[in-house]
Amino acid sequence: MTARLPANILIGAVLVALVAGAAVLSAVWTPYPYAAIDVANKFAAPSATHWLGTDQLGRDLVSQLMAAAGNSMTVAVVAVGIGCSVGTVLGLLAAARGGWVEEIIMRLSDLGFAFPALLFAIMLAAAFGPSLSMVVIAIAFINIPTFARVSRAAANQIWRREYVFAARAAGMSSFAISRDHVLPNIAAPVIVQATIEFAVAILVEAALSYLGLGAQPPAPSWGRMLAEAQTLMYLAPQLAIWPGMCIVTAVLGFGLLGDGLRDISDPRLARQRSA
Amino acid sequence: MIALRGLCVRTGTGHLAVRDVDLTIQAGQRLGVVGESGSGKTMLALSMMGMVPDGLQVEGQVLVDGHSIAAEDERAWRSHRARSVAMIFQEPMAALNPLVRVGDTIAEPLRRHLGLSRRDARARALNLLEETGIPQARRRLDQYPHELSGGQRQRVLIALALACDPQLLIADEPTTALDAQVALRITDLLVRLSQERRMGLLFISHDLAAVSRTTSDIMVMYGGDVVERGRTASVLSAPEHPYTRGLLAARPSLMTRSRRLPTIPGTVPQLNALAAGCRFAGRCARELPICASRRPPLSPTETGQAACHLLGAQA
Repeated sequence: MTARLPANILIGAVLVALVAGAAVLSAVWTPYPYAAIDVANKFAAPSATHWLGTDQLGRDLVSQLMAAAGNSMTVAVVAVGIGCSVGTVLGLLAAARGGWVEEIIMRLSDLGFAFPALLFAIMLAAAFGPSLSMVVIAIAFINIPTFARVSRAAANQIWRREYVFAARAAGMSSFAISRDHVLPNIAAPVIVQATIEFAVAILVEAALSYLGLGAQPPAPSWGRMLAEAQTLMYLAPQLAIWPGMCIVTAVLGFGLLGDGLRDISDPRLARQRSA
Repeated sequence: MIALRGLCVRTGTGHLAVRDVDLTIQAGQRLGVVGESGSGKTMLALSMMGMVPDGLQVEGQVLVDGHSIAAEDERAWRSHRARSVAMIFQEPMAALNPLVRVGDTIAEPLRRHLGLSRRDARARALNLLEETGIPQARRRLDQYPHELSGGQRQRVLIALALACDPQLLIADEPTTALDAQVALRITDLLVRLSQERRMGLLFISHDLAAVSRTTSDIMVMYGGDVVERGRTASVLSAPEHPYTRGLLAARPSLMTRSRRLPTIPGTVPQLNALAAGCRFAGRCARELPICASRRPPLSPTETGQAACHLLGAQA
């Protein structure tokens, strides 16, 4: 049986590959150093030398966008990675222990949900000064309860399976059961959630950098590029349009991919949608 | 040696799902437990593993090697599971993790309980699989459960249960999900393993033919009570308790051709509707006035023991 991949996965994967490819490439090569100023050449139109032109300081736009992609992806990978691992461990613990341990973990998660990511990041920036690492901490922190909830719900289902019962009957501890039996079986929903949270993380990073709470100059960021281009909208709208497009591409790509993966892992949803 | 002393399992509503069971299983002894669904056979088995579901309370004593282990003492139980008591299940597919290779499933308790290295555990897992007579055992190690047939899966579970040389193997309806031919081979395998390893076998079933083929002793349960026990052959050929008679009469036979199988009237009542006296009262064809109010004690019969007021009345 050769099942065709659904369109949303295909499109999502292509967009993600585009952004991720640019991000990886930016680590080793950009057309120009992203921060190289060339005032003589400011506001250059797209040409063979500067594919998308230059900005108000003559910096190459393509180079900046690529480097910003790298920044964005790093923030998303680290933040979602931390949030996902800590949250999943907490969720597994809650499901394995039950009782008051589960109660405490889940009520703390509820508390975590009460914090809007942006407000939390603004609070951190106010306390510790704005920086990209504060953004990472904020996004990671916001992700912990999400993953704790998703993994606990999935893990609770697995704990009711007979093979978990059989593993207990074989004398396995609840830690070993969580690691060997529960974790592999909840990987699908956790990966789906991680993909979706990736999109959110990119958006939050862009928003915070736009507000000046994230990437500090000269570190490139789509959000900061947008903010800087704002005053030049009438003069050089392309300076705002391109970073905006990049944000849309990345968020849309991860969003579509996550949706598609969710459809695959939960066929009931897919059937509803195609019906 | 595993023994139960006055074991009761109480539900959250205070009713007894298992009432006052005394039981000792010696090395190499094969005991069958029969009864309808809801007769408490599985609860009895779980109490011997310290795995009675949350919300149910175990009273009385479970003795492993003469030491009483409290039902709540999860740590103590964990060290006894697999080593003293192991269990195989009704649905061999459901009892195997679809994402774990069967060799790794068997190796888990070996590494945890016996502290074997990865390589040694694998070699031991292969030996165990070979002992269960699974064809091409070496190839099976790296296969996933869905690549095996139902009988092969049950053999994998048996190998898993045998991993730490348990003194007692509990088989909870191990053949129900298998077809008749395969079921016969599995029960024969259980008998062979019990004899070769001098391992006790607690064989739970509602298939009287399988029980008579597999076990030397039998215990008939109804509504949480032991109603009759004795040597399998003699109890099944000369049952004393009306419930055992009813069960035997309800078997289809090749010899006599009847249009309808006889049945025991009614169904197993809910726990909260059970009589305080004999729990079979209300469905029993030969009920006495005393039955509903006074619980008959297990008293000796020609073939073993039975709990029925008729025994006293006849004598």
